[in-house]
Formats: sequence, C-alpha cells, structure tokens
Amino acid sequence: MVPCKPTDTIRHTLSPLVRHPAFLGAVIGVLAAFSQALLISAGGPEAYGFCVACHTRDLVNGLSNILAGTNLALAPISKNAVLPVMSVVGVLIGAYLSARVNREHKSKEGSPRDYFAYFLGGFLVLELAMIFGGCPYRAALRTGYGDIFALLFIVTMALGVIAGTVLAQKRAEKEDA
Amino acid sequence: MATGILAAEIAIYAVPPVTLLLGILIGYLAQRSGFCSIGGFRDYFLFRHTRLLSGYLALIVFSFLGYLLFWILTPAAMEHFFWAFEGDPSSPVPGAPAGLAPAAYLLFSVVPGFLVGLICVLLGGCPIRQTVMASEGNRKSAFFLLGMCVGSPVFAAFVSRWIVLLMKTLGLGA
Repeated sequence: MVPCKPTDTIRHTLSPLVRHPAFLGAVIGVLAAFSQALLISAGGPEAYGFCVACHTRDLVNGLSNILAGTNLALAPISKNAVLPVMSVVGVLIGAYLSARVNREHKSKEGSPRDYFAYFLGGFLVLELAMIFGGCPYRAALRTGYGDIFALLFIVTMALGVIAGTVLAQKRAEKEDA
Repeated sequence: MATGILAAEIAIYAVPPVTLLLGILIGYLAQRSGFCSIGGFRDYFLFRHTRLLSGYLALIVFSFLGYLLFWILTPAAMEHFFWAFEGDPSSPVPGAPAGLAPAAYLLFSVVPGFLVGLICVLLGGCPIRQTVMASEGNRKSAFFLLGMCVGSPVFAAFVSRWIVLLMKTLGLGA
C-alpha cells in the first residue's frame, strides 16, 4: 500500500517500531527512571518505577487498607500517596484498548483445572516475587540500578525457564509416545 | 530521604495519575509487541529467536541509561545509584526485609528466580504477559491475576514473617 496521507506515512514508519519489544523495553526503562525522578519525594523504594507483582501488591493491600481498615504492608510510595500506584490498572486498560482498536480481543476459556493451575501459579509467583522483592521487570530495573542480587535473579530465572522448557518437551514426548 | 522533582505534598497526589498513564502506555505497547521476559528466554532457548529477548535486554540497558540520565539531571532523586558502587554490594536495593545476612539475600534471589522462571514458562508467560492476555480476553490469565491479588494480603500477613523466621532458624539473621 502506498501511503497517501501524512498520517499514513507516520503510521507506516511508526508501526514496526511500536510493535517491536525492544522499543517497549527502552520505553519502560527510561520512563521508570523518569517516574522515580518525578515522584520519589512521596516515598521509596528506589528502582520501583514499574513492577507487575509489587504494584499489584500495593494496589490490593493499599485499597484493602483504605476500604477495610486493614494494616497490610506495602511500599512507602503507595502508603504515603492518596491512592496506591495504579500501573497494573493502567496495563489492563492499555492492553484492552489496544486489543479492541486492533481487533485482537478474543474470549478464550479453559477447563476448571486450567483455572486452578493458573490461580495457583499466580499465587506462587506473587509470593516468590515478594520474597525476592520484584517481578522480572523490577529485577531488570534493579539490575540497571546496580543491584547484583537482581542480576542473579535474572540469571537463575533464565535457568528456570530452560528447566521448564525441557520439562514441557519431555511431557509432550511422553504424550506422543 | 531522596527528593524528586515534585515536592512531597504534590507528589502524593501525582502518584496515582502518573503511574496510571505510565501503565496505559506500557499496556498498549505490550499488547502490540507481545512483550514477555520469560518468553524471551524461552524463544531463544528453543528456536534461537531473539525478538522477544531483545525487549528484555533493552529494558535492562535502557533502565541503566535512564537512571544514569536522571542521576545526572536530578541526583537527589537517585540517592543510591549506582548501588554496586554507592551502597554495600552485599545488600539489596532498599525495600527488602532488613536485618538478614547476605547469604539470606542470596537465597532470596536464587530460589525465587529459578521457580518464577519455571512456573511462568509452564503457564506461558511472565506477569506482564498474563496481565495483557487477561485484557485480551484470556480467562486463564485472569485467574493468574486473581491468584496474584489473593497472594498479596497473604504475603503481607503470613509469608513475609515466616520467611524471616525461617532465615533466622537457618542461622542467617544479621
């Protein structure tokens, strides 16, 4: 297709960029640093600009503290602010908009066993991420911030991925045989 | 205490809207690109595909560059950058449970790292990918999010204490 309107040209040039994971990686990295520069007076910790697990924890525990009067632990930035960090809500909205606009929204269902496995997986991943102090994303931010433990987390995560892949392959082979 | 561009009285109001906008932008781009850290390592290991992995590596490199840039522009906001040189490299970035020996932090990195990689690759995506898939209408991923939500108060109320207790029992208190 030959671009004819100026907006088409822009779209034509931007589309491969917007669709490339490395572009998003760069965006998250720079914006996480920017949001720390902007908001850190509200409270720490550092290298906390974006994290799916920690920000979910802050959101759930923070709202529970506000609405139900509980006293659950959360990061100082979410404790001090009028409302906890909203990044996860943002990701849900942004991804929903994108899926709708680009007609990629599709209901996918699973068996009750799948639901239980995913529920348990989500539960365990959150506990494990909290023990470390971040999901894979905050691990990357912490590594960029100079935290050697976060780098170790990434290395062992890669090993875990390899172990999981081998396990899944073995299981698939067994089912084929 | 670190000081940012916004004063504390303003920043406490800015936190929700700024993080929300940031999240919307990340969510939109993540849906477009299929961004996934776990998927990056998996695709590289299985097929030597580097597309997804490049996203995660770019995140590490650009977070360093971003923090470096704002450390130059607003040094007061980047109190402990670059941690490995500034702070004590045998302790993690502030925010982790205090009062434990370095060996405990080593365990906290290595064991969860391996298990998060293992669980996430079996479920087909890291936390951000699950969030995006839930938004795309995948109900299994919605249950993953539900598990994370239920896990949050459970960690705060029980697991965080148990894990410190366990470390002290193992003789890894400070």
